[in-house]
Amino acid sequence: MSIAAAQLHSGLAALLEGDFGRGYRMARAEREPLQLAALRDRFAALRGSIGALGRLAEEQGLADINRLEDVVPLLFPHTVYKSYPLSFLEQGRFDRLTRWLDGLTTLDLSGFDSAGIDTIDDWVRRLDAQTELAVIHTFGTSGKLSFLPRTKAHTPLAVALNARAIRDFHGHGSGPDLLVERRPMISPSYRLGASSIARGMARMAQDYAGGLDQALFLYPDAWFSADVASLAGRIKVAEARGEMGQLQISPALLARRAEFAAREASRAEDMDRFFAEASRRFAGQDVFLFAVWPILFEWAEEGLQRGLRGLFGPGSVLTTGGGSKGRVLPPDYKDQIFEFLGFERHFEFFGMSELMANAPRCEAGHFHFPPLVVPFVLDPETGACLPRQGTHTGRLALMDLVPESYWGGFVTGDEVTLSGCDDVPCACGRTGPRLHPEIRRFSEARGGDDKINCAGAPEAHDRAVDFLLEQAR
Amino acid sequence: MSAAAETGYRVPLLLRGEIVEGGDMAFGGRRGGVSFTAPDVAGHLGELVLSTPSRMADIAGLPFAEIERFLAALGERLDPATNPHLAEAFALACHTSGLSRSLLVEYYRGIPGMLQPDAVRDVAERMVGLDYLNGWVEQPRGRNRHGTLRIRAVGSRAVHIIAGNVPVVGVATVLRNAITRSDAIIKTPSNDPLTAAAIVRTMIELDPGHPITRHTSVAYWKGGDARIEDALYDPRRIEKIVAWGGFAGIRHLTQYLQPGLDLITLDPKHSSSLIGPEAFADEATLHEVALRLALDIGTMNQEGCVNARVIYVLSGTDPAGLERANRLGAATYAALQRLPDSVSTPHKAFDRDLREEIAALAFVPDAYRVFGGQGNEGALIVSQDGAPVDFARQLACRVGNIVPIDRVEEAILSVNAYTQTIGIYPDRLKAAVRDRLAWQGAQRLVSLGGAGLDQTPGPQDGIEPLRRMVKWITDEDLGAETFAPFRAGQEPG
Repeated sequence: MSIAAAQLHSGLAALLEGDFGRGYRMARAEREPLQLAALRDRFAALRGSIGALGRLAEEQGLADINRLEDVVPLLFPHTVYKSYPLSFLEQGRFDRLTRWLDGLTTLDLSGFDSAGIDTIDDWVRRLDAQTELAVIHTFGTSGKLSFLPRTKAHTPLAVALNARAIRDFHGHGSGPDLLVERRPMISPSYRLGASSIARGMARMAQDYAGGLDQALFLYPDAWFSADVASLAGRIKVAEARGEMGQLQISPALLARRAEFAAREASRAEDMDRFFAEASRRFAGQDVFLFAVWPILFEWAEEGLQRGLRGLFGPGSVLTTGGGSKGRVLPPDYKDQIFEFLGFERHFEFFGMSELMANAPRCEAGHFHFPPLVVPFVLDPETGACLPRQGTHTGRLALMDLVPESYWGGFVTGDEVTLSGCDDVPCACGRTGPRLHPEIRRFSEARGGDDKINCAGAPEAHDRAVDFLLEQAR
Repeated sequence: MSAAAETGYRVPLLLRGEIVEGGDMAFGGRRGGVSFTAPDVAGHLGELVLSTPSRMADIAGLPFAEIERFLAALGERLDPATNPHLAEAFALACHTSGLSRSLLVEYYRGIPGMLQPDAVRDVAERMVGLDYLNGWVEQPRGRNRHGTLRIRAVGSRAVHIIAGNVPVVGVATVLRNAITRSDAIIKTPSNDPLTAAAIVRTMIELDPGHPITRHTSVAYWKGGDARIEDALYDPRRIEKIVAWGGFAGIRHLTQYLQPGLDLITLDPKHSSSLIGPEAFADEATLHEVALRLALDIGTMNQEGCVNARVIYVLSGTDPAGLERANRLGAATYAALQRLPDSVSTPHKAFDRDLREEIAALAFVPDAYRVFGGQGNEGALIVSQDGAPVDFARQLACRVGNIVPIDRVEEAILSVNAYTQTIGIYPDRLKAAVRDRLAWQGAQRLVSLGGAGLDQTPGPQDGIEPLRRMVKWITDEDLGAETFAPFRAGQEPG
């Protein structure tokens, strides 16, 4: 099966045909020229249409990219996709929010009609309906969600890249080709919504499971609300600062509190139904399961208490990640999870909403980037690129070469150690750039962390709903 | 990592005139990656606390002239050029403080002045009242014509959890403890573990047996260490906690509160400015206002709670109004760059998160105008649509946010219990809105430009910390006539 990757530079697109695992074993002399050619293409195509990129290039006096490092001054701060003022949301200025987003994509949003929109969810759904965009949002750092101008073509592409990694990371064809060998899919999460996970899962239900009748979601019909996620982040920040009294809640969101409350009330019931359905419909079958460790553990704990173990077939696949941030898991959490699931084959990825092709974790615990992504490590003080040779610790920056309609280059908030830009192989035998297991947020490194990551999101979500309900009293 | 980080600093435990050295425990500092070692306070709790309140007798009996003399003698020894302890504290502060060296030089030079007799007397007189500190003050006669009421301000046993953003906090704490004839256990912060220790160590060298020395202890432990705090924060051992510091730290302390233990909080605060349309009367006025605003933003490199961060300007929000606000932004940015090194400098450790937030403003060019912010020199952000930046709480390192408004109400409504100082121009605007600002929560209203300059001793954060540090004791003479009505029927039969 061919992947719709016409927008990729030919050299990288070829990687998607045949053995995708080859990308994790390329010598530098082969990898970097491909990346450089693709990078130059992207820069030439986008500098004229993404205003901020053009301005940066002009400020830097950069006309052309001759080495991979040349792009470093052109990488956006990771704050860029949440650089809109919060007042746009509080005052319902979705016209201005649209104009802001328009500046970050080559798609023309000038004809978009935002009249009557008063929540983020409505805005996202109308963009879905009226434009080529399929915006994804993050879970909210400091109470502000990032919005990425993904297109409708990007969702299946990201899902396909994930399938390629699963099939070929441990050797060509070592894993199932999920795009061909379809199997039931199970997700203890939302089917609807515009988070990167919700969009990805909904697409996987189609491409991996072959349709909704072969997919099981904890919330098959509820929309993962960006408005509630945003409120959750703002509450967390307000609590930390003792400013709960000052939160401004839009009337449109308050009006929907009954809907959120109903979902809260039926949570236990939903969980019961989810377990019952999982064993009734899919017990003993090889399935595809996608969930972060803390949620899996919660699930396994509940399942084991209900006497469920060895639930699925031995050929099943789990993809996971997300660390255990914010939750304390027992030392044997993986054993408990595998006992419950009945299989151990799993893939862990380093990824983030901003990235389309994630980095799988190898036997040695390192996260290997496919050649579609160029990682850099920057000096945390000066922002200068550290040598692309040997092992260095600093701030991770990424150039995602996949997206063609927005600029994929950004500096993350993560402190990482990167090896393998040279040809020194990993203990697992692969070559190429890879992250060491110790990854932390810079804000965490300085003793504070107000980021709600995916792993902590459901809890924050519940607190946001509680807060909305309190407003009614 | 610097050389200092590799060698590490040794922080002593100063116990009522005794010096305990030896680093049982290692701690990491905040900025600059500096680490230090200190004795484990848990092993010295018995000597640290004053379990028997009658041991206050020695300091309670000190004549005020002796307090003045002792503090002045101490001040004379606190020259960082000749005092090795203070020199070490200064050297560490150069790594850990957000203040540049040139500013720290000024602060450390200013320490002896704070302990001179006229300064000490000024604080005692204005912040408590010398007569109440020194004796029983007879009150005007009230309804009971037979009785006499006398009041005295008596020292208490307190733990002071001090802040490390500016070195004067340690000096002020030593001073406040001495003039109130109290007993202080000073818990130092990890970002300045040495300044208070240097002062008290000098005190020990001056006279280890002096009552003030015997009632001033300095310790470092990691905030939240239950082995120490469970034992210490108990009304049998202390009566007051004076806490400077962060929201989380104060909230942590509240678990120890119970009858008999009083928490005096000097919370984290934010300050702002309010500028009337008069600022735009002419070019000369605009530049005067810009200079004064630059002072409110820039003194102490905006490390203090008194520094202006969000600046409301009654320029109007129509295009001409925004242009006026933008001109003020440009002029203030220029004035900030020209402040002398002893007052303000480019920040030596510009906050990285803040830099990213400023960089992101370029993606909404119609909502903000940014003057500066390229390097560490500071910036003025002028909001073009009536709202402060979303990261207003993170403004630091000489970055101010000018918000043009049409009506003064918008500025007044932004004030809350976390607002400390508001610098206002002109003074008649201050007089017009002061009551409403006070109701909203503002605690200090000052002529624009004066926020960070020398503060006259007075209330702080809306409370009178020294009047709360002491206990107000009454002595009531009732006179025989008072009991006359009760005598009827009491004659022995």
